[in-house]
Amino acid sequence: MNTKLITQDREVEVARTPPATRHRESGPAVAAIISAMLGMLTLALVNLGTQASKAFNTWVHGIGKLWMPGAEGIGPYSGKETLSALVWIGSWIVLHVALRNRDLNLGRWLIVFLIGIGIATTLLWPPVFEYLAGH
Amino acid sequence: MSANEHLEERREASTASLALVVGILIGTAFAFLAATAPFTHLMGHSRAAVASAFHGLSAFLYLIVGTIGLYLAWRLWTGRIRAFADLQLLATVSATLSFIAILFGNWLYIYYRATDPESPRSWFMANMPMIHKIFFEFKEFVALFTLPLTVAAAFILWYYGAHVLDRKWMRYTVAVLLALSFFYLVVAFGLGAAVTKLRPA
Repeated sequence: MNTKLITQDREVEVARTPPATRHRESGPAVAAIISAMLGMLTLALVNLGTQASKAFNTWVHGIGKLWMPGAEGIGPYSGKETLSALVWIGSWIVLHVALRNRDLNLGRWLIVFLIGIGIATTLLWPPVFEYLAGH
Repeated sequence: MSANEHLEERREASTASLALVVGILIGTAFAFLAATAPFTHLMGHSRAAVASAFHGLSAFLYLIVGTIGLYLAWRLWTGRIRAFADLQLLATVSATLSFIAILFGNWLYIYYRATDPESPRSWFMANMPMIHKIFFEFKEFVALFTLPLTVAAAFILWYYGAHVLDRKWMRYTVAVLLALSFFYLVVAFGLGAAVTKLRPA
């Protein structure tokens, strides 16, 4: 759709295509960011667990070895990636279905997301997770 | 009020333009490859040559795309973006490059942490243990953050389309996702480059 715009100096035509999609609730956006945050927190917590417990570390490596090519060489990192991705995608599906028709306060959830990612980043800083794991 | 202030590009990107961008990216990689033949010279001679070359190439391309994305994210935050379709494409390409970089990073990691004394990890643990224990370990984790962040940004941009422009917190959310993904990319890229410089795989 072209709109005629008259200014003081001249008349111009501006390409202004209206949005093709209908109005959608903010729930799916909240689901997208919160699931990403949960995936990142999972990575941080699983890593902390592997640092604290050898048995857990072996179990996490076993998860990676279930499907990832080269997981033997990659080590427990393969399992950490796997669990993080599973929580991210799994929680995204669940939250998307649960929130798809709900209009939520996106600003509030963005703050929750930022706090979560801040915690995940802090927990992944080696001196922090080594201290928490008792090393 | 000038006419320029009304110039907004609100048209959404088409699938054809997305395919074109991906095609150009792949074509550029092949052109680079052909121009620097023979193949072994491009890749180097180490056992991790292929994995490290593609990991570095995808990360470098991502850095370029991410930088442009950061600028568009800032324009989106301020509500003065004119290239919404470009932002949709850039977020998608960023997510794709993040995935490819992680994929090749995983492969490269096998050589990095090999148990022989010549592997980078063995060498760092013997000579500079803090490089591995702090910088590499942090890098290998935060690099993964770029994928969910860019995927979430791309999802919101495509799912809501140009409605994003009319919703303040939606704009802020996408801008924050792209800015954070760029931050984690730069941290991972910088630390990765430093580690490679000190001891290539």
